[in-house]
This record gives sequence, structure tokens and C-alpha cells, in this order.
Amino acid sequence: MNQHLREQQLIDYQFKLADAANMNVAQAHLDECEECRQRLQKLVRKFASLDLLRDEVEVSESLLSKTVENAVQDRGMGILPMCRRAILALQVVVFHGRDARGTHGQDARATSQTPSQTDPGRVIWLYRLPALGAVAAAVIAGVGLLLVSTSRQDNRIMPTVAPSLPAQSTASAPVREEAYAFRKDQSMSSVTAGVGKAEPTAPSKSSSPKMSLTDAQPDATRSPAGRVGLAPPEPMSAPRASVKAEGPVRSVPVRAYPETPYGVTTNAIDAATRMAQAPEIAEQPPFAPASAIELVVLPRRENVQLTIYNGADLTLVRERRNLTLKQGWNWLQFMWANTLIDPTSLSLEPLEHKDAVQVQQLVFPPRLRERDPKRDESRLGAQLGRWLIHSEIGGQVPFELTYFTSGLAWRAFYMSTLSQDERTMHLEGYVRIDNGSGEDYEDAQTRLVVGRVHLLDQIAALAKRQHPYGSPVSSGMYGATGGMQEGKTTLDFSKSGLDVSLVLHDVEQKPKGVHKEGLSEYFLYTIEGTETIPDQWGKRLLSFKAADIPVASLCRYDEERWGTETIRFLSFANDKEHKLGETPLPDGTVRVYGRTDEQGRLSYVGAMAVKYIPVGEKVELNLGPARLVEVKPVLMDYRTENYTFDPNGGVSGWDEVRTWKIEIANTCPLAVDMEVTRGFETSYWTLKPPANEVSYEKYDITHARFRLTVEPRSKRVFEYTAITHHGARQEVASNAK
Amino acid sequence: MEGLDESLVAAHLRGDPAAFRELVRRYGDGVLGYLFRMTGSRDQAEDLFQETFKRVHEKARTFRGGSFKSWLFTIATRVTIDTARRRKRATMLSLNGETDCDDDPSPLETIVAQDAADPVDEAVKEEQKEQVRRAIESLPVGQRATLVLAYYQQLSYQQVAEALGCSVGSVKTQMSRALAKLAQRLPDSVDVTQ
Repeated sequence: MNQHLREQQLIDYQFKLADAANMNVAQAHLDECEECRQRLQKLVRKFASLDLLRDEVEVSESLLSKTVENAVQDRGMGILPMCRRAILALQVVVFHGRDARGTHGQDARATSQTPSQTDPGRVIWLYRLPALGAVAAAVIAGVGLLLVSTSRQDNRIMPTVAPSLPAQSTASAPVREEAYAFRKDQSMSSVTAGVGKAEPTAPSKSSSPKMSLTDAQPDATRSPAGRVGLAPPEPMSAPRASVKAEGPVRSVPVRAYPETPYGVTTNAIDAATRMAQAPEIAEQPPFAPASAIELVVLPRRENVQLTIYNGADLTLVRERRNLTLKQGWNWLQFMWANTLIDPTSLSLEPLEHKDAVQVQQLVFPPRLRERDPKRDESRLGAQLGRWLIHSEIGGQVPFELTYFTSGLAWRAFYMSTLSQDERTMHLEGYVRIDNGSGEDYEDAQTRLVVGRVHLLDQIAALAKRQHPYGSPVSSGMYGATGGMQEGKTTLDFSKSGLDVSLVLHDVEQKPKGVHKEGLSEYFLYTIEGTETIPDQWGKRLLSFKAADIPVASLCRYDEERWGTETIRFLSFANDKEHKLGETPLPDGTVRVYGRTDEQGRLSYVGAMAVKYIPVGEKVELNLGPARLVEVKPVLMDYRTENYTFDPNGGVSGWDEVRTWKIEIANTCPLAVDMEVTRGFETSYWTLKPPANEVSYEKYDITHARFRLTVEPRSKRVFEYTAITHHGARQEVASNAK
Repeated sequence: MEGLDESLVAAHLRGDPAAFRELVRRYGDGVLGYLFRMTGSRDQAEDLFQETFKRVHEKARTFRGGSFKSWLFTIATRVTIDTARRRKRATMLSLNGETDCDDDPSPLETIVAQDAADPVDEAVKEEQKEQVRRAIESLPVGQRATLVLAYYQQLSYQQVAEALGCSVGSVKTQMSRALAKLAQRLPDSVDVTQ
């Protein structure tokens, strides 16, 4: 064996820091060296302590708000330092000029100053030259005003600057133009009111009461765009330009929490007909906003539940979020990108105040476009869905958001360890959950469904469409896929009884259990507590464990199925007798290891994929060829007899008699139960049974099956004679039976 | 996630205040965790957190697409290093400079405050956490940043290289050295449960 791996090599191997060649060398060594494997395990355990510091830092709401506020305000406040720098720069210019003149002998007083007098002397000198001082002061004031003006524009009238930027998305471009047009169309006073002020209610004041509803609607979308800026975010729920809005506007406080890869935001728009002191809810819903401006960021999801199907690429996600609604009409925006959410499946339901809160409609604005830095062209970006919610109350309301997503999958697999005598086995069942959905699911209650789901469309295809209701087949990057087809997913969860409480269990220190329960034609596994499954991660959980399961080991020989190899099978049943039978066993791979000695060393025996195993069903595991058991059939005799003739003297029937000797050599240290299947290629056959305690049965119309036990490291031979009947002899043989 | 990030940055550049807030929300935990592990002080990490996002706010125009996460952590790293340098200078000049840990409760105080179900277990766990924290803090800044980004923030080595402005090879070397040191300093056996 090669020299043992150094600790550094083990670290590099474990964390994939070595190059490919060294990885291969390390892998090859580890395959052979138990000691290095143990050292590696020890290292892995040691590095596991790093996980103690994982996930313990969370941004508080106050910190988040403070951070946003500071960032926004500092930008506005940045004028003063800039002015200061400008003044200093001017001073340097002035003084440098003075020094230069002094150097050329134009100012004897200045040149006569000692270096220690220079700084105060400069200031004094500035005041002693009133004309120059006045010019400098004028320049400073001018620059200062310019900076203030630029800063205001930069801070509050971003759209006027924005056209010089490269186009970011299809959604943004029109908004920018409209915003610019809006500014041009409005009077200076209204622009000042709507743009110059940081107060959110300004636009409502600037709206024209003369506008008709029809006219007002586009402007309602323009108005906020026109005042997009870096104003403090608290009043983001301010109303848009409205037709008759005259009074104060209700504002929804901003709540900010760490969020998921997609954002959930509300666009709080005041009803157009809201009155000043006695707010009444407008009967007409506001027009769907064209841009995601004035969005109130909502709290993170309170909890999330995943129901993952293994029969289809399908996961039901149920989230609970507390939304802050205002009385009247509310727009709620749901935005996602690079995830595999089926837009047609989005559903939102209030969990409380159901009489007072109604979800009216869901609209799908066009997908955003964004620049692809690799191709230097635009591409489809985030997708949007916006709900219109009518609320008779203001305040926080818990909602449940449900949707289907793709990319999450789970599968079962089993580890089996055979006892030394191969009469019992230890079986451990695991479930592995893989998240390729593009979304991190934190603290998700996870439920796994065993059973087949009939889907007309694949969720992944639905998720990638340009339009939520377009055909998943014809969707392309730029392909227009209109139409308003309904979603075709045929699963009805309201009927399947999946509505269980979203109780989050405390994280326990012991290994998590997996609860199983029957559910119509499905079977539901619920994993204890919650799981965090980041995107592109997999997680393995123990599902069950059973010891001393009685098993039957059997070797089979059947030339027609497996050629000349003997195949080894392990069989047991999913029932109480075999210490199982509590739940069906989902599809999965079973890996079988054999215990080779008292120390518990294992050897790999074989693996196979098993189908769904219902309770009470027998399981037979094909472990592959049994190398230590050899079966050799030898034809010992062949003859024909019992000829019959037709009236013309021709042969009309005959029997063929074959005598076979079957030699079975068992070189393994355990006795082997054998099953040898022999075929006769005709259904007209009779058999002279073997003499030496070998039983046989007619397996099917053309096959017979012999059973016997072969002792360890021994040979066993038996002979049988098969008579097949042909032609007219077939009838004779049939009548004889 | 890059598509949504770019959309949010674009919206922020267009002046949408909600977009910036959304960016802070999306990456807040990660950045704060990174800064906390880099500094070892929650208060200092929160200061740096604000400074980081202030710079993100100011410099969003310089974001050229690609991985926003890498870009964000580049800024967070620079803020951390800049602050560390300033603090180093300040410490040298100050005669009564405060230590980073002055405001942090001791592990024991934390345990008492937490009203733990099993105080003994919690105490052991806190001690182990402290040991891990000390081991990480003992690493040089470059190695610490590499380790935290790659291990805790789960950035790929390529993304770490982008965030730290170096090659993937350098990242692997730093990571390898960091882990070798940690192997000597981490507790031998820890019961880490999910």
C-alpha cells in the first residue's frame, strides 16, 4: 500500500481543494486504506463543529429599517461633504495661485512669510484681498448651488437621468418614458409638489380633479414613476394620482424582513373616490399598476410547508404570511425568477377575517426583461403576479399562499445488512430530498407523498412559459404565447385531505422521525419538525429502522431468463411477521451488505431497485449473479420412440426422450437453497422425476421447477428424464393425462 | 437568483426604494452572518452591515451584472478590511480603546439569559461555540474571509474568488491553509444536530 495520506491531503480531498489528479490519488488510497478512512472521518467530525455557528445570525427588523433609512438618507445628506470638499478645493486653487504669484515676486508680503506662518497667513491674505475673496465666495456659492441642484435631481428625479442608462428591461423602459412625459406635461408647481417633496402624499395633491376615470388610469401608473426616487421608504404606500382624491391618504407602515428569492410586495393604492375625513371604499377597483412602484415590502413567510410527490415532478408549497392591508383596495405583488413555479397555480387565501377580506383577481403583468451580460442582449427576467385584494379592515391579516413548483424531488432508498448466516437482516429506510427548484426553503415542514399523480402538463414546462396561460410546449424566449387557457393540473388538494395544520415543531436533538399516514390512494410521510433545504442541496433523513427481519435466501437457475448464471435472491414480506408492515415502502434502491465476521465487517452483496411495496406484499430482491454457485446441465441421453404412422405409412407422431444430469457446485460456506427451472419448448411433456430427494413441480405449461438444498462447499447431482410428445402423440399423451 | 437580483438592482437604479429594501432583505442575513463571523462582534457587525449596504446603495451603478451575491460580498469584505485597518490605527493611538467584545455578553450571560431547557448542555454547547468562534477569529483576515464565504455563505470557489478579487487557485490555497489551522484548533468531537 502507498504511504498514508497526510492531513493536508485529507483536508484537500474532503473539501475538493486538490486538483483532479490528486483527488484521484487520494480516492484510490482511501478505497484501500481503512486507517486513512478513519482519519478522514475524524476530520469530518471535527469540521462538523463549524456548523455550530451556522444560522445563528438574523437581521432584526429594526436593523434592516435603519440600514435602508441610513443608506437612503446618507445619499441625500451627501451634499454637505461634497460642498466642503469643493470649498477646500477652491481654497487650494486660490492659495496655489497666490503662492505662484508670490514665487514670481508679485507679492512681496506673501513671499516674505516664513513657512510657519503660511497657513494663518493664507486666510488673512484672503480677507486682505476683498475682490479676490468676493470672486472666490461667488464661485463657492455657485458650485454649492449647482451641487444641491444636481443632488436633488439625482435623488428625486431619477427617471430624468435614467434614459442615459442602458435599457434594463422591457417593463422599465416604457415606465421611464411615461414618467418623463408626465413631468413634462405637468405644471411646474405640480412637478415640484410631486417630485421635489419627499412626502409621499404629494402626488395625490398634484393630481387633476378634472381627469375622468378613464384618463386617470394611465396617469395613475405614471404618477409614482414620475416621483420614483430615494425618498425615505416609510411612506411607500402612498396613494397614486387619483381622480378625486382630495383628503389625507392612509399609509401603510413598511415592514421589512429577510426574504426569499422571490419577493412578495403589496402596492397599496388608495381608492380613487376616497373622501377626505370619512374614507369609504371605492366600488371600482383601481387599475392594475404597471410598475412595481410604491411597493410595501411584506414580512417574511411565517412558515412554509412542502408537499413533495415522488410520482411526478410536483411540489405543493403552502406559505403563511402576515400581510398588512389597508382598508380599501390593495395590490399584492408576487415576483419570482429562476424558479420553477407554475404561475397558474398561484392561490391566495386569507386565514382570518374571511368575510372582510376578499381576493378579487390575479393579473399577470408581462415578464420583466433584463440584460444578459454574457450575450449583451436582453432576456426574460422575473415573473410577476398581482392580486387585487379588497379589504374592509386595515391592519395585519394572515394569508396562505399556495402554488405548485417543480424541481423538488424525493426518493427512498434502503440499506440492508445481512447476518452472517443470511437468515436475518437489518433494514434501514431513508428518504433523500433534493432541491433543484431555484428556491431556498428555510424551516419548511416537509411532507412526502407516495403515490402516482396524474399531470397533463409538467410543472417545469408551465413555469418556463412566457405567459402564465400559454402553452408550455411552444414557449420560447421571444415566442408570443397568448390565450387564456386554464391550468391543466388535475390534482385537487382540497379533496385529498392535505389540509393539515402548519404547526412547526421545535427542533429536536434526536434524529428526526418520519410520520406516516394513509391518504386515499396516496400515502403521506411527514418529517418531524422543520427542514431547511437550500437550493441545489440534498438532504437525507432516516425513515425507519428494523432489525432481525427473517429473510429467505434463494439461488435460481433459469437459462431462458438469465443464461448460464445462477442468480441470487433475497425475499421477505412487508408484514408484521417480518417486523415491517406499518407502511407501504416507496420505490427506491436497496443496497445489501453482508456481515463477514463477528467484528461487523461488511461486504457489498448487491443492489437493486424495488417498486412500491404495499403492506402485506412479498418482496424479492435480485442481488445479481451468485459467483460461488455453479449449475451445469449435461444432456446424457437422447432418443426418439413411440412412432405412429398415418394410413399412408408416413410418420404421424413420435416421442423424444432426453435425460439430463444437473450438477450444482456450491463453493460458499453456507448451505444454498436452489431452484432450477427447466423448459421443454412444448406443452406436451411428461417427466420421470429424479430419484434422489429432489422435489419438482410443474411451474407452468412448458416448464418444470426443481428444488433442492446444497450443503456448504459441496456438489450435488440429480438426473431427470423428460419425454416430449409430437404430432399424433400429443393427442395420445393428452388423453393419457 | 441572478435574474431577480439584476431586476432589483435595475429597479433600484430607476429609483424604486422598495427594490433596495428587497435587496437588503434578501441578503441581510447572509451579510450580517458573514460580518459577524469576520469580526466576532455583533455590534461591530451591525455597524459594518449598515456601511456595506450604504456602499451598495451608492455604488449600485457600478454593478455590471453577473453574481450580485459575489459583488455584495466584495463590498462587505472591503468594508471589513477598511474598518479593521482603521480600528488597528485607532487602537494604536488610543490609550483607552474599547475592545470589540465589551458590549457582547459573555457566553455564560447568554446562557442565563436564554433560559435554556438544559443549562448544562447549553453551557457545553456555548463553550464549544466559543471555541469554534475563537478558532475562526484566530485565522488571518484573508483565510477567514475565504472560509466564511465558502463554508458558511456557501459561495462556490469561483464566487469567492470574484468576491475577494483573486484567482480560484488562491482561494483554494487560502481555504486549505485555513482548514489546516482549524483542524488543530477545533474541538475534537461535537454533537452537531440539524
